[in-house]
Amino acid sequence: MNKMELRFSATLANESLARTAVSAFIAPLNPSLEEIGEIKTMVSEAVSNAIIHGYGFDSAKEVILRCELDQSVLTLVVIDYGKGIENIENAKKPHYSSRPDLERAGMGLTIMETLADSFTIRSVLGMGSKVIIRKEILSEETYEKEGV
Amino acid sequence: MESKIRITPFEDGLVIKFSGELDSSKTMLYRDKIHREMTSSGPRFLLFDLKDCSFLDSAGIGLILGRFNEVEKVAGGCGFIHLSPYARKVIKISGLFSVMKEYSSLMEFRKDMGVKL
Repeated sequence: MNKMELRFSATLANESLARTAVSAFIAPLNPSLEEIGEIKTMVSEAVSNAIIHGYGFDSAKEVILRCELDQSVLTLVVIDYGKGIENIENAKKPHYSSRPDLERAGMGLTIMETLADSFTIRSVLGMGSKVIIRKEILSEETYEKEGV
Repeated sequence: MESKIRITPFEDGLVIKFSGELDSSKTMLYRDKIHREMTSSGPRFLLFDLKDCSFLDSAGIGLILGRFNEVEKVAGGCGFIHLSPYARKVIKISGLFSVMKEYSSLMEFRKDMGVKL
């Protein structure tokens, strides 16, 4: 079991920091390029949702990113103490966005849900949101062995 | 790798190449650059080259979809070239393949779009 926690200001410039930290954290498992890409995409979606929707770009606020590796299973938790999601079912609909002006396709939750082995989102209005993602990392060696 | 955008015009369109990480810290800037180029040359066809693109999320998808919506108004179209399995997967999940296809070359893209001319 290995763990880490990162707290950073709610600014989009830190999205890259969050992605890089997670890819360094999982590097010992020797993930494939595709797996690294998918995990980075999920981290970015969760973190940018916290910054944009949770905190409305208020960089005085903090996003918390927790990572846990239990053998080959990665658990990512992204927490914000922002405004919360009014209607999670609406938010999960493909192409739905509460900020269409930002031109972000409204696909963040769909992308995370599809790429993750398991995906949970909890939110309380006025209290914040928490995204929990689980994904098993099959090292490149395993890929070859299984002929996937 | 440094993240950047390179826009190369052809007769009736633009090849837009993204290198490095296409994330939300870049998309606003890229949108302006593409917009300026589109205003000056009025392209109908956009081919997005993701050969050296190592990162893609819904911010990048939104950028591409937004440009598709613009050229669609002038009966144009968009396509992709050089997709990695990872980029292909993110694009597939986003549903973008329902409005634009992946091509193996600029020539193939122009031929396919040419039908509309």
